[in-house]
Amino acid sequence: MILMMLKTIGGFWDPLILVLAAIVVAIIAYIIRAAGRRNHKTGEQAKPFFSGVAEPSKEAMHVRASNLYWGFTEALKGYYTSMKKMHSGMLNDYIGWFVGIAALIFVVLFVMEVL
Amino acid sequence: MTGDLLIMTVFGSIGIAIFGLFFGLVYKGIDRKIVAHMQKRVGPPIRQPFLDVIKLMNKETVLPENAVGWMYSMAPLVCLASSIILLLYIPMGGLDQVFENGALLGGHGDIILVLYLLIIPSLAMVAGGFASGSPFATVGAQREMVTMMSYEFPLAVVIIAIVWKLSTAGGDVFSLSLIAGNPIWNSVGLLGLIGAFILLLALVIVTPGEVAKIPFDVAEAETEIAHGLLAEYSGRNLALFYLADGVKTFAMASLVIVLFFPYNISPVLEQYVALGDFTILVDFLFFLLKVFLVLLFSVTLVRAGMARLRITQVVSVYWITVTLIALFGLVLLMWDNQFDVGWF
Repeated sequence: MILMMLKTIGGFWDPLILVLAAIVVAIIAYIIRAAGRRNHKTGEQAKPFFSGVAEPSKEAMHVRASNLYWGFTEALKGYYTSMKKMHSGMLNDYIGWFVGIAALIFVVLFVMEVL
Repeated sequence: MTGDLLIMTVFGSIGIAIFGLFFGLVYKGIDRKIVAHMQKRVGPPIRQPFLDVIKLMNKETVLPENAVGWMYSMAPLVCLASSIILLLYIPMGGLDQVFENGALLGGHGDIILVLYLLIIPSLAMVAGGFASGSPFATVGAQREMVTMMSYEFPLAVVIIAIVWKLSTAGGDVFSLSLIAGNPIWNSVGLLGLIGAFILLLALVIVTPGEVAKIPFDVAEAETEIAHGLLAEYSGRNLALFYLADGVKTFAMASLVIVLFFPYNISPVLEQYVALGDFTILVDFLFFLLKVFLVLLFSVTLVRAGMARLRITQVVSVYWITVTLIALFGLVLLMWDNQFDVGWF
């Protein structure tokens, strides 16, 4: 049997069938694309659209990687601020968290055992 | 056996691709017509999306000088191909009498695979946006990525809730055909019914985000960032993204139907009239009607009545509001099982 179904406790999928289907539909997409017009002018219209403003240097136009998740970090600012405070870089703080959480787990386990 | 499967996969994929492309554009046309009427405009004819594709195919396909050429050209192909692949795995009404599991490859992949496949068109758009070398496209790609990170969480909660409910029945609970064969409404009491309604509401809010429609179309925001990640795309490349949008929208609506409205109408009609060979056709037409209704309530009416949210609002709506709503629905489903309140 060439085609093997991969099964886990929960799910299943057949990678080879997926690859075969992907090749077929990729060919269809390529044929559709190939039916379109190929030639185009170069020069002015190949410059990036910038609302008619003269293009600044490439470095100035670049959106930095640090801004990549801006919307996400800005929306969850409260969470990130408190998390940054916790990550102080002090080993004493990290050991304190470790001991505190370990103690909490033992208390929970103890209570569950008693009940 | 293997040979039959390979032949069926090849020819079935071609058939489903044509089907998906056609109905994707038809529903796009219907959506535009209804929105136009709601805004007291005549609107374009329903065939307008077909004309748009033909027009785009005849336009120049510009390769921006700052673009990463191969990635810029590959992105639309990957986007369209992955959108079509989705349809191969999602069961559709009427086709359960044609294919064993209601979909061409229904028995060869489960809902987890569909969840991953749903991500690929968006990822292709992100890659294309970053490869465009334009600040508008880069901002759009960044927004698309953040939006994607936001709606995946509540979507996963909804699916896990439904699968968890099915887990009591046994079998491959992640199988889409099993989910379609055991509608959630049939196995819940009062608490579970409320929980299922809440989960449906969460999924209806996730749908416009998944298909990048107002109010969650921050990645393309025409008036703000000049079509965002598609700013530099033109001609046949833009046509492929346009087609992929239609197909993915159709696939997403089909997924909502599998999860919440997998009923066929033929068993009801059979009580009054013998359908005979028309059973498949009747169920399929009913499925198309359900797709229309899902898109009407989750996309068309929403986009006609709302303005675009800011990117920070999109994140907080999905990560906080909708996720909490979905988790509450999940808790109600669990209480329904645990306390067995029944209907009174």
